[in-house]
Amino acid sequence: MKGNAPERLDVLIDELKGIFSNIKAHEIMNTSVVVIRPDRTLYQAKELMRLRKISGVPVCDEKGALVGIVSIEDIIKALENDYINDRIEKWMTKNVVWIDENEELIDIVEKFSRYGFGRFPVLNPETKKVIGIITKADILSTILKKLKNLYVRDQRMTNVLEKSDLHSISLITGEKLDKSGADFYFEINYSDINMAGIGAAKLREFLLSRGIDEETVRKVAIATYEAETNVVIHSESTGRIYCFVKDDFIKVRVEDNGKGIENLELAMQEGYSTAPDYVRELGFGAGMGLVNMKRCSDKMVVVSEVGKGVIVEMLFNIKLGGEKS
Amino acid sequence: MKLSEIIEHLDLEVVTGKDFENIEVTGGYTCDLLSEVMANCNKGMAWITVQSHLNIVAVATICGAACIILANNHEYPSETIQKANDEGVILLKSSLNSYKLSGELYKLGIR
Repeated sequence: MKGNAPERLDVLIDELKGIFSNIKAHEIMNTSVVVIRPDRTLYQAKELMRLRKISGVPVCDEKGALVGIVSIEDIIKALENDYINDRIEKWMTKNVVWIDENEELIDIVEKFSRYGFGRFPVLNPETKKVIGIITKADILSTILKKLKNLYVRDQRMTNVLEKSDLHSISLITGEKLDKSGADFYFEINYSDINMAGIGAAKLREFLLSRGIDEETVRKVAIATYEAETNVVIHSESTGRIYCFVKDDFIKVRVEDNGKGIENLELAMQEGYSTAPDYVRELGFGAGMGLVNMKRCSDKMVVVSEVGKGVIVEMLFNIKLGGEKS
Repeated sequence: MKLSEIIEHLDLEVVTGKDFENIEVTGGYTCDLLSEVMANCNKGMAWITVQSHLNIVAVATICGAACIILANNHEYPSETIQKANDEGVILLKSSLNSYKLSGELYKLGIR
């Protein structure tokens, strides 16, 4: 294997840093934030927290500016010491640590560990108005979302691509893939954009004939159409569609040996397209292809290397209790 | 609403030969970007567009559109009509533009 391990790790860390460092508070925060006025009682705060299943509420004046915060601990103390019917302003935490909407993820994480609070209100620094709230769960879900879009390409993958191992294993499950055992096969051997979708239409008919429910077939057909169109518009080569029908899922794999995707992260963005003008005029190239595939499938893996083609593998769960016989 | 009633009310020209007596239209979608249509035009909807090339037949088949209504006096190429006849996709056309067609459909109660 080329290159040494620590070097690769450095590259990986740098790549990860690039992806996570510029996440700002306003991307992480939950914007449906509940606030309460200081002239309400702690009892009312308790009811609000119970009904909304939250563990803390920012306190805001009539202009929406932050003046304090009440947490579950404040409520417990109030119940223990019998002042639950007092006004909030008397007992709320007035020195609230808040987050500027432009603060970056790394500083926000640092705040959580330094103060040990469960939540921080996010403020517009000029108006001091509460525009959101961040809990640890919000941070986690933001990171997970980013990870979903993250494709790490390193030396190992190049080696695998060169050896064409990927052409014989499943990208989703890692199992050895017996393509000769595919239930459906279609060769994308044309380059006329007008013909795009023939394979998907054939696959649709095949799945319907196998008694798969219409909703699942629709999803498979749309995603396959998009993948097929991509091969025709972008690969400058031929391609292949394989479909495997199992009891509880359908797996579709579309491969080509074309020019590959230069920047997968960009390509995954809605509206991003490298399609030439003549196909755009026909209504293709809206930058929705990969987005549609991801939306329709339950799992999707895309592997690509410039000059070595693209492999898309998608998994569709068959609805339980569907019409499949 | 039955497709035949819509054809009558909107004075649409029927280009394909397939029988549309029993086709029910449940909604409509107006767009010329094929991926958008795929994502949003559902089964039984009338698809209004100005795209007339061969590929619209595949799109309509896959998303299950009830018919394609070509707006603004655009013409279907003969290979599109042939393909639609083969696949059983109903092609219609109108002199109204996409906006007006959508409005008329809406007025008929297709929402």
